[in-house]
Amino acid sequence: MKMVASFQKLGPHRFIGHLDLQRAMQRALRRADIPVVYSQGFNPHLLLSFAAPLSVGIEGEHEVMELPLQNNITETEFVEKMNAVLPQGMKVVAAKLVTDDTAPAMARLAAAVYHISAENGFQALEAALPGFMNQSTIPYLKKTKSGERMDDFRPLVYNLTLKDGVLQAVLAITQQGTAKPDQLMGLLCAHAGMAVPRLSIKRARLLDERFAPLV
Amino acid sequence: MDTHNVQRLEALLETVQRPSRYTGGEVNAIVKEWKEGRTTFCFAFPDTYEVAMSHLGMKVIYAAVNREDDLLCERAMMPWVDLLEGLKKEKLPLFSLESRRALSDFDCVGFTLQYEMSYTNILTMLDLGGIALESKNRAEDAPIVIAGGPCAFNPEPLHSVIDAFLLGDGETATGELLRAIGKGRKEGKTRLEILRDLAKIEGVYVPALYEIIYKEDGTLASVTPSLPEARKPIKKRLELDLDAAFFPGETPLPFTEAVHDRIVLEVMRGCTRGCRFCQAGMLYRPVRERSVEKLVELAQSLFQSTGYEEMSLSSLSTGDYTQLLPLISSLNQNFEGKMVSLSLPSLRIDNQLQDALVDTAKVKKSGLTLAPEAGTQRLRDVINKGVTEEDLMRSVSEAFEAGWSQVKLYFMIGLPTETDEDLLGIADLARKVVGAYFALPKEKRAKGLKVVVSASTFVPKPFTPFQWAAQDTLEEIKRKQSLLRSALNIRGVTFNWHDPETSFLEACFARGDRKLAMVLLRAYELGCKLDGWNEHFKYDAWMQAFSDTGVDPAFYANRVREKSELLPWEIADIGVTKAYLWLENERALRGDITPDCRAGCEGCGLRRFDGVCPV
Ligand code: SF4
Repeated sequence: MKMVASFQKLGPHRFIGHLDLQRAMQRALRRADIPVVYSQGFNPHLLLSFAAPLSVGIEGEHEVMELPLQNNITETEFVEKMNAVLPQGMKVVAAKLVTDDTAPAMARLAAAVYHISAENGFQALEAALPGFMNQSTIPYLKKTKSGERMDDFRPLVYNLTLKDGVLQAVLAITQQGTAKPDQLMGLLCAHAGMAVPRLSIKRARLLDERFAPLV
Repeated sequence: MDTHNVQRLEALLETVQRPSRYTGGEVNAIVKEWKEGRTTFCFAFPDTYEVAMSHLGMKVIYAAVNREDDLLCERAMMPWVDLLEGLKKEKLPLFSLESRRALSDFDCVGFTLQYEMSYTNILTMLDLGGIALESKNRAEDAPIVIAGGPCAFNPEPLHSVIDAFLLGDGETATGELLRAIGKGRKEGKTRLEILRDLAKIEGVYVPALYEIIYKEDGTLASVTPSLPEARKPIKKRLELDLDAAFFPGETPLPFTEAVHDRIVLEVMRGCTRGCRFCQAGMLYRPVRERSVEKLVELAQSLFQSTGYEEMSLSSLSTGDYTQLLPLISSLNQNFEGKMVSLSLPSLRIDNQLQDALVDTAKVKKSGLTLAPEAGTQRLRDVINKGVTEEDLMRSVSEAFEAGWSQVKLYFMIGLPTETDEDLLGIADLARKVVGAYFALPKEKRAKGLKVVVSASTFVPKPFTPFQWAAQDTLEEIKRKQSLLRSALNIRGVTFNWHDPETSFLEACFARGDRKLAMVLLRAYELGCKLDGWNEHFKYDAWMQAFSDTGVDPAFYANRVREKSELLPWEIADIGVTKAYLWLENERALRGDITPDCRAGCEGCGLRRFDGVCPV
């Protein structure tokens, strides 16, 4: 069986880079004495993968990790053992045992929900939202490994709503295309004719193609 | 820090490299409440987080202080230039990781002095932390600034900056100092009264309580206590029983990778081999071992509290730990299946040990590292490095046979009595190592021969038999380096050397007197900081600081001292006597070797201390 679990990356932990996070989680699994699996070979490493790396500076409420297990352990036991060794702001929120042949979380991932708030609220942007969404294409400069080219941002934006002064954005994360929240804000503010304010961004959920949470 | 400042700091952190080194909140970090009656201590490490968190002493003191209910210890480190500039620009103070308070909020701020080139970082941190650079300018309620660590044994270059120095082991003594400070503050004592109380504690040096007179030639005439509390000499503090001395089972686990990011077990303290260039070997006598049971117990709790993948055994010469084999096998047994690798220094690993290690694939195979230090037997005898060419070649051949292809060789240049012949001996040795590799049949040797020869510049240190010696001049070092460079133009050999300018400054401060404090303060004014980082080291600014203050660096680095000269560090009594060091100096010049004193006392003087060195 495999364990798929979601965890927080809140407060100061938003500054932890992806490689550092990986190492921190591996060590937590070792402290919690979870029956983890190591790779074969000369330099064995603990098998653990993440659905989607989170950029430094963005908080996460339900980040998703996945690991094969040596022998069975219940979901509750996993959560309890992990939370006994994880620091505040980095706790496991949910865990689910799945069969080994279940597609990896990384492959099931299709979209993410971001909660974006600005220093002085979003009043100025509110009026611009419908117009932004009604565009048939939103050209943007896409950075790829081989350089930059123009592409369409519109199909990567599934939904934008403003709720209690917080912008909730459902954005694509797929092999074909990924929309980042700072790119969105750049385009949205340009559309509204204003400068990008200082933002605080939280990734609230990772979703599969049916827009259901991964865990 | 109030909420407004916290917000500005958060915004600032978003703009700097690797912000997680400034946020604290690591697993096992200890955040205690600031409550009435609790004395607050900030352990300040004058280098970056990655270096600080690799340092065992800091972790020990941090945990030792925090387990006391009436004391509290937080951490602060030298920020990297981006945050440093940001703090200045935003007018934010340097803060502790735990409670984000300015350094000036603490009752006491303590620096560890690991190397001389960190002294400008101390000034930077005090300045950013809102504390006056010099003791005499500190307000009555400003923190008492203390320092310890190996460089505290020559405290004089920092005499005007540090209020009180602690010489020797800090596990018990730190608490004594903090309690005296806390008590003094509670009773409303003045700074001077508190400092006088500190001076009563064994191992503590308060520079303000001594009067120093110089001779016309610039050497010391006298050092006189000006108040009855001031001890002379100051006997170093000693933890004689390491099993009883505090060692933490939980240490803060950094998110961002530290330079040494692993479990470190201090298996013993001290070394009695008596290498004549080695300061630590003299400072930390006598040899004290920790028991296997204690070490295994610590290893287990450290593993459970960190999840580290690697464990290393630390001491000045781990190969000399008498219980090494039992320790390794016990660790292997206890960590069966836990995937923890053991890394060992490859020095002095004899055959029996090698066999034991082969059985345990868990021991990490890093390249072979050897430190012959000098290129000829003559010079190795001078420095009392009891290692022969035969020993070296045997280790190297065995390593090649065992399938290794990388060898690192460490040397020093500029050692007393060194001639060009000794330097060419380094190249000879390197050539023989290459020869040993090619002597193996092709199918038996591992591919990719790499012999790295590193040569550092010798820095004469206080409390060594070479404390009277001159360092080679910069020109001479450079000449020697280029001689070596051409001699080491050998296939398969890489030569590494260091800029000698840093070693020159190190030599000035290592054996400096009180006049060096002026130079230090001037260098800081001229923008010197992070001197240990090549890209930030400003040699010209340092030279200007010397000339602005009228201090001649050559007086400290390149001068041979007389036997009769009163040395600035004689205020400290490390146990080993000046007479013994002089005897060793004479033996060195004759090329006579001194055996390890575990085979029989050599009379170094340590026995004057009670309970030291069993007969
Ligand atoms: S007193 Fe004797 S046994 Fe003790 S460290 Fe000195 S030489 Fe060695």
